[in-house]
Amino acid sequence: MALFKKILIANRGEIAIRITRACRELGIGSVAVFSDADRDSLHVFLADEAYHIGPSPSKESYLNFRKIIEVAKQSGADAVHPGYGFLSENTVFAKALEEAGITFIGPTVSNIESMGDKLSAKALMKKAGVPTVPGSDGGVESVEEARAIVERIGFPVIIKATAGGGGKGMRVVRQMDELESAFRACRSEGQNYFANPTVYIEKFINDPKHIEIQVFGDKHGNHVHLFERECSVQRRHQKIIEECPSPSVPQEVRLRMGEAAVRAAKQINYVGAGTIEFIFDNSTKEFYFMEMNTRLQVEHPITEIVTGYDLVKEQIYVAANKPLSFKQEDIKQKGHAIEARICAEDPITYKPHPGVIRACRHPQGPFMRVDSYAYPGYEVPIFYDPMIAKVITWGDSREEAIDRMQRALSEFVLTGIKTNIVLHKTILDHAKFRDGSYTTQFIEKNFEVIEPQLFKEVEDPVFLIAAAITAYNDRKSKDVRQLNLSSSWKRVSRKLQLRM
Amino acid sequence: MYFEAELKDKKFKVDVAETKSAWKVSLQEEGKEWVHYDISKRDFKQAEQYISFLFSGKSYLIDVIGQDTEYTVFTRNSFRTIKVFNDEMLLHESLKKGGGFGGDQELKSGMPGKIIEIFVKEGDVVKANKPLLIMEAMKMENEMRASRDVKIKEIRVKQGDSIESGAVLIKFEEPS
Repeated sequence: MALFKKILIANRGEIAIRITRACRELGIGSVAVFSDADRDSLHVFLADEAYHIGPSPSKESYLNFRKIIEVAKQSGADAVHPGYGFLSENTVFAKALEEAGITFIGPTVSNIESMGDKLSAKALMKKAGVPTVPGSDGGVESVEEARAIVERIGFPVIIKATAGGGGKGMRVVRQMDELESAFRACRSEGQNYFANPTVYIEKFINDPKHIEIQVFGDKHGNHVHLFERECSVQRRHQKIIEECPSPSVPQEVRLRMGEAAVRAAKQINYVGAGTIEFIFDNSTKEFYFMEMNTRLQVEHPITEIVTGYDLVKEQIYVAANKPLSFKQEDIKQKGHAIEARICAEDPITYKPHPGVIRACRHPQGPFMRVDSYAYPGYEVPIFYDPMIAKVITWGDSREEAIDRMQRALSEFVLTGIKTNIVLHKTILDHAKFRDGSYTTQFIEKNFEVIEPQLFKEVEDPVFLIAAAITAYNDRKSKDVRQLNLSSSWKRVSRKLQLRM
Repeated sequence: MYFEAELKDKKFKVDVAETKSAWKVSLQEEGKEWVHYDISKRDFKQAEQYISFLFSGKSYLIDVIGQDTEYTVFTRNSFRTIKVFNDEMLLHESLKKGGGFGGDQELKSGMPGKIIEIFVKEGDVVKANKPLLIMEAMKMENEMRASRDVKIKEIRVKQGDSIESGAVLIKFEEPS
């Protein structure tokens, strides 16, 4: 059975390049699309064909699915890969493609729908025997009801206002005599801040880690998992470092998590690449379903490196109705992989810092991979995600993978814009990262005032001397120009005088 | 050539002299002794897109961006913005200070972005820490606030404008 002739990649930046590479290796044509701001983006240069789809804001270009489908038809693409973000979990887009007779490389519409709503997803998972966070499963009306729930699920618990957010209307309760006052406080905060007094109760996770399981399904009823990724290093609730395997998950728990994830995928007859996210309590080693991402993940390379399978190619095979090319018993984790997401942002405030890249040299050398769209002279646009590169290293052991990442990041030269590379280097050196005990609160709790630590590698005189010599050269060249100008004036006037 | 420089909150006196084969740079951090560095031009040279700087046994690849009074130095993925003034500029600075203004006379954008919303109009008197406008850059909205009590003299942008880094957005005057 033939694969596709041509795939349109409805995305930009590094992930568009990643997909273009898979197409090229499979002998499939690749079609890039770009907005006004992305004419000079590397994904445009590397694809076989490239078409302009609209103005810079995502809404008018990368989210404009009508335009994208039109370009797909015009270019003769018989499939579309959405990458991550943008239209990757958009059922209207997937349906419209189907109607146009173009294959959507991703899960089915009903897969996306059943996992899109958090409450119905949780109910489905319970049905499949996947553990979910124990709790009230809805509003709790009275202190008596709250007490009964807590007696069932045990301390500690967290009471949350249904409408709450931003830390308001939330209380952690560790013993029974605190329950009543916390319950009343949450209800009144919910009423006062969000005009809704409804609260619910959940088991509180002491040392939460973000552990996710990669799953894959095909259109023939086969489902497998490709083990876990740990993504607990997060800032602004976004992942920045991921590793595989997790240093905190015992082998026996790992297998149970994988089995639970496969049950989840089977429950909804899942097709393609997906990820089941769990919240993992590092003190009890219990895990609970959080949500399912029905797409390829940013951090998919670490799974590829450790298992040896190309997940993007597999997505394409599955979309072309082929059965999965691996069986559960074939899939093994070999060694350890780490990914660092390099973002154009201030490493202290985490604020995005778009701008023109001056010098850029990517790390090279053994056992590593760089998925990047940075190059010298490229202007990182203000309209999209600040992630510009992913550095992935492999090691026989976790220590080797970390040391190799440190080495790779030391080689990475990127100037002109601020990046979070120094933050990565500081994290990789941190005792809590090294011993694997870090949780999702790691950055919040350990990296408040770290500026001196971040820049510790370079002493002040290095900066000052470089700035001083540059300032000296600038002023000297200016003076020389003025000198020449005045002397040429003199020359001209002297000549004029001679003539007279 | 004599400069005064500021790196973070630290002030330095700087002297740079050039010979045929070397840079002679002297630094004095406020309240400390002068330190003299004799740097061979072979150890501070342009290579590829960067400056290769061999300094007390260490090898740095450096890129310096900026002009006039502000330079940003990048090396080993660290970066520092350094303000550099020579005599003439120092004079201008002191004149400004003599004018009796206690703070910035304008609001500048720290990064390129788009103006989402403006909360003030010309002539408004705004208390310190009140929001002035919201700017969006890379999917994040940043609220910019007044750093002190000010009167809005001029608003140079309007809603929907795309702006460059360093652009002046609002000019202030002293509230009477």
